[in-house]
Amino acid sequence: MTAKNNRQQPDRDWLLKMADAEDACRSISVGGMAVDILGAQATLTAGESQRVFGRLIEYARRAKGWSVEQLAKQADIEIGEIVDIERHEQAVPQPRTVYQLANVLGLPPRRLVEVAGLATPHREVNVAALRFAARSEPTARLTPAEREAFEEFVKVLVHMSDGGP
Amino acid sequence: MSNDSIVQIIRRSDGSFVDANLVRGVKPQDLLIVEREWIADRTDILHELLDKGVARENWPQSLHWNWQRKAPELTLLAACGLGVVCERQWQGVMMTKSAPYVARLGADRGQPLIYIDYIETAPRNWPIPEIGCKGVFRGIGSLLFWEAVRQSREEGFHGRIGLHALPQAEVFYQQACQMTPLGHDAAKQNLLYFELSRQQAERLFQARGEQ
Repeated sequence: MTAKNNRQQPDRDWLLKMADAEDACRSISVGGMAVDILGAQATLTAGESQRVFGRLIEYARRAKGWSVEQLAKQADIEIGEIVDIERHEQAVPQPRTVYQLANVLGLPPRRLVEVAGLATPHREVNVAALRFAARSEPTARLTPAEREAFEEFVKVLVHMSDGGP
Repeated sequence: MSNDSIVQIIRRSDGSFVDANLVRGVKPQDLLIVEREWIADRTDILHELLDKGVARENWPQSLHWNWQRKAPELTLLAACGLGVVCERQWQGVMMTKSAPYVARLGADRGQPLIYIDYIETAPRNWPIPEIGCKGVFRGIGSLLFWEAVRQSREEGFHGRIGLHALPQAEVFYQQACQMTPLGHDAAKQNLLYFELSRQQAERLFQARGEQ
């Protein structure tokens, strides 16, 4: 194998930094052939993520007694964006939006990113999210049952952030 | 292999930089050699994982891949294979496609991009602490990713990249490669889809001092 047309060498500092980032992950693999190994780790579909995330944000807002407008102001997000999220009309939220919402609503950012469909959720988060989705209904005020569902879900998210993987 | 060039990868044992060949135009028959080289290491790793009782969720998620099965795809006009060879062994391989994929992200929506179909580093390079594997070389995945960004620019796609990452690799593509996650894709085994926009690619080129 001959080597011709040598091109600019990647900067060594860059390569060291990137290699560290590679090592911080278990894999850098891209592709779709690993489905058999992923079988035990079923994730929320895009539509489910959208629904669960929207419902969670709505509940968290109502639990604080905030209007959509108040939440928009606190989080520095357009009102329309929050409406779209709560109505599940936004395909995938921007990462910034998720972090802003996590901050003002007191939810763990890393886990909220998973619920929003911007990272693959850990199994416990996945199960809790599906359970939450099954038990929640949109109404003006949180009923005791809804509050219980909401609090249970948040408990899992916080637990996974504190000591979980 | 007139398009080959010399790159450097890092030897884990002493941190030294080692010359390697970046092979452009990987052929289907090369993938047969890749699989022949890698299958023994995969099998050893699998046995070790089973012997040590490592939880399945901690196994390398590309453990069951088979590059031989991908060989026919390399005959497609839009497909391109790149690989890194060092010490006469394949250390990593990537397959990209220049059609029919288009960007989904913001201002780039509808514009062509380079889609990374597969990237994998050789199993001998995987650090797996649970079974005492330290890996031989590192930095290979980053080099291959960067070549895809360059390829995108050379094709006139301004560095735009799309890919579906395995869950274990999501953090790498989002944080180190600064790609944007755009949600799980039911059409692709529900893997998370990422894109690198033209603007993000420009920032990467600037950070590397390549204008």
